[in-house]
Amino acid sequence: MLKSLIYIFSFLFLGELIHYFLAIPIAGNIIGMLLIFLALFFKLIKLEDVKPASDFLVKYLMVFFIPYGVGLMVYVNLIAAYWVPVSLAMILSTLLSLYITGAIYQKLDKK
Amino acid sequence: MKAFFALPIFGVTLTLVAYFLSGKLKDKFNLVLFNRVLVSAVLIIGVLLLFNIDFETYNNGAKYISFFLGPSVVALGVTLYEKLEEMKRDLSVFLISVFVGGVVGIFSVILFLMLWNAPEILSRSLASKSVTTPIAIEITKITEGIPEITAGIVIITGILGNAFGPFILQKLGVKNNKAVGTALGTAAHGIGTARAFEISDSAGTYSGLAMCFNGIITALLAPYILDWLLTFSQ
Repeated sequence: MLKSLIYIFSFLFLGELIHYFLAIPIAGNIIGMLLIFLALFFKLIKLEDVKPASDFLVKYLMVFFIPYGVGLMVYVNLIAAYWVPVSLAMILSTLLSLYITGAIYQKLDKK
Repeated sequence: MKAFFALPIFGVTLTLVAYFLSGKLKDKFNLVLFNRVLVSAVLIIGVLLLFNIDFETYNNGAKYISFFLGPSVVALGVTLYEKLEEMKRDLSVFLISVFVGGVVGIFSVILFLMLWNAPEILSRSLASKSVTTPIAIEITKITEGIPEITAGIVIITGILGNAFGPFILQKLGVKNNKAVGTALGTAAHGIGTARAFEISDSAGTYSGLAMCFNGIITALLAPYILDWLLTFSQ
């Protein structure tokens, strides 16, 4: 478990490092995700070396989002003034994006 | 008492207990509305309001929990690798779906806001609403919006997709697990992905990859799409 956690953190560290020094508009954790994927793909690291920690983290992904959900209470006043257009735009755009992505995938997948 | 609530153990314990309770509630009543992030956040906000504790105080501890969001996104890369064979087969289908869905998301949110005469600053803050919070905040800094509003809307979008996405997709005839996963990751980032993992492992993997891919697409395209659309409002 410790070894796999060190691997995960090292890739996150590397991702943050690249993000910091190249100043690219992609989050360090996303860069780390791509790098660990590539490292596994090109057999630079072994799956069993990273799997214990990654399975644990993915299982509890939802827990790590809870503080962000709670943080909404801070921003509530900022959105309050324009809540009608903001809510409508957000809901309709999310539905549109959800449906179009899913429908295209399902249609093309069948062929 | 205020000093006690400011101890990190308060925010950490409160978050874990709220998550545990949300699981009990979900087991008892399997309703969409009893989404675990939503229930946990409501429980915690309730406790904070009841004891007059501000978010900063709670976040002294909670930030140790949200810190794990970073490594868990990295961990998704491992899960992606495990599903590589499955993905290779229909990679082009996947990429086309995420690309079109992601671009439609950027265009539509800006157009709807323009249609209802919302101030330009909101368009600049919401263009990245479908992508994972850290990327969305970075994009908003580039598009000169308000990152705080972005963070709030991204979370609500995620909760919306997480709580109602699978139900709505099923009603609209999208039943393929991988299609549902891809749609959740594209439109509702990591919060949608968490839900996709509850549906199946492959739905979760596709959702995680869709989140990552749409994050990159949005980071690259949103500033240009925004500038182009805003020229029509002048």
